Amino acid sequence: MVRLLEKRVLYVKGGAKSAPLFIFWMILPVILIISIFTFYPTVNGIILAFENYSVFNFSNIHFVGLKNFNKILSDPLFWTALWNTLWWILLSVVFQFMLGFGLALLMRDPFKGRGIYAGLVFYPWALSGFAIGILWSWLLNAQFGFINDILMKLHITSQGINFLSEPSWAFFSVIMVNIWYGIPFFAIMLLAALQSIPEELYESAQIDGAGVFSRFFHVTIPYVSSTIFATLLLRVIWVMNFPDVIYGMTRGGPGGTTNILATYMINIVYYKNDYSLASAVGVFIITLLMVYSVFYLQFTSKHGSGEF
Amino acid sequence: MKKSKKYKIFRATMLSIYLIAAIIPIYWIILTSFKVPSDLYAYPIIYFPKVLTLSNYSYLFSFAHFLTYFKNSLLLSSISSVISTVISIFSGYVLARYQFKLKNFVIGLLFFSQMIPAYLLMVPQYSMFSQLNLINSLIGLGILYVNIAAAFSTIMARGFFVRIPRSLEEAAMIDGCSKIGALFRITVPLAMPGIAAIFSFSFINDWNELFTAALFLNSDDKYTIPVALYSFISKAGIQWGVLSAGLVVALIPTIIVFAFMQRFIISGLTQGALKE
Repeated sequence: MVRLLEKRVLYVKGGAKSAPLFIFWMILPVILIISIFTFYPTVNGIILAFENYSVFNFSNIHFVGLKNFNKILSDPLFWTALWNTLWWILLSVVFQFMLGFGLALLMRDPFKGRGIYAGLVFYPWALSGFAIGILWSWLLNAQFGFINDILMKLHITSQGINFLSEPSWAFFSVIMVNIWYGIPFFAIMLLAALQSIPEELYESAQIDGAGVFSRFFHVTIPYVSSTIFATLLLRVIWVMNFPDVIYGMTRGGPGGTTNILATYMINIVYYKNDYSLASAVGVFIITLLMVYSVFYLQFTSKHGSGEF
Repeated sequence: MKKSKKYKIFRATMLSIYLIAAIIPIYWIILTSFKVPSDLYAYPIIYFPKVLTLSNYSYLFSFAHFLTYFKNSLLLSSISSVISTVISIFSGYVLARYQFKLKNFVIGLLFFSQMIPAYLLMVPQYSMFSQLNLINSLIGLGILYVNIAAAFSTIMARGFFVRIPRSLEEAAMIDGCSKIGALFRITVPLAMPGIAAIFSFSFINDWNELFTAALFLNSDDKYTIPVALYSFISKAGIQWGVLSAGLVVALIPTIIVFAFMQRFIISGLTQGALKE
């Protein structure tokens, strides 16, 4: 089919001679840009990880072997950040998904004002994660925060909780905010998938006497399962590399307890100005991403990716 | 399918909870930005202030140079996203319409570049740009923003172009239109909703970008809004009234873009990007 179309296109063009040049010039800009500004820096970053490039050392840069990696692996804050990353991904993605799926299911059948409603609940998707982080740190303020005030009015707590200065509360808080922020993504994706389910499937299931739950597990879930897997697996990468909310709320503090690998690395860039050390963390993150994406590609090639 | 009355009540309740959870934070920050200082730090908390003030905003724009930051952000985001959108029209179109040897390789490269998060690149980009004298330059930052958006925009553009029938282009070309002419006179106008979505998507991302900007920009007159907010919270003693006003200025443009482009952005996200 594709071959046939190709022949047709080339025929209409009046010869294949001009097409390769046209294709080349049209593709060139994007390839040039990502080669120079994404791929070259990636390679360069890996090299930097084995050198001693820092703000204090711009000129005498040389190979230092695994020194940077040893330094990281012996830093307890790195291990905190690694464990936090796993919890951060697991809790954020699971709850973003469940709450987002719930919202999508509620919005599946039309109701009055659904378009406006969608705008009002989906808008956080477009907001800056960093700004959202700052915004929530005001809502979670121990003295003048909205959340503490509500909790006290409901008699859930008698005095303001130090949401952002007490380590365990702080990590809980950044995850909660990240969940809030990520619900629209899943709702948007899954709502589109749900709306593509033919109504007849539900009707025939109902005629067969299937109840609400049976319809959900035998019609809805199988139909959207490929979208669910594709979005979940992609979201893991995205959440792992999403330092914005944490940076707006705690910047990884207090005492590094809310660091994930991403914020751990950025803090090394901003505050230690040790760029080679940061690159070593970067290499570690890239390795994790590679391992994960091999797993991801194998999984999706078996189960198919999102079909819309 | 008929729904019981019970379900409808349940649904209305749940939808209201979602709605409240979604809009209270933004309502609260807007309210804070209009409060006078005495109301801001009053206890018990004031939910319905009797006096509202614009002083936080006037402070922002007179003392804190927010007009400069706003201008920087607006110019940087719109020019970068126009460029990345145009680039993605070229490449997305060719990838949608033509067959060629390296096509799968090119698509593979585009997807692969998406795997590398921007913050991992900022150090090597910094060392590269310091040799090119592009540190503390909005043009330098703009190049990096085009780089961040180009690949994903191409993937999205391809998804949109695939769905536009080629027969119209063919007809135009038979009538003597060049390939580029057919693309811009026939296909681009038809794909306008999709292209607008690609532009909005890049604009929102550029407008919100913090980490690269905070590393690359080091003088006040070059700051973008996220960098300005970052320098606000880095200083000791956060003034929440002024910061809230800053947040409102940072958030409102993307909310407006989203409100107008919602339908197209959503269809672009769900169809353009994931369709393979």
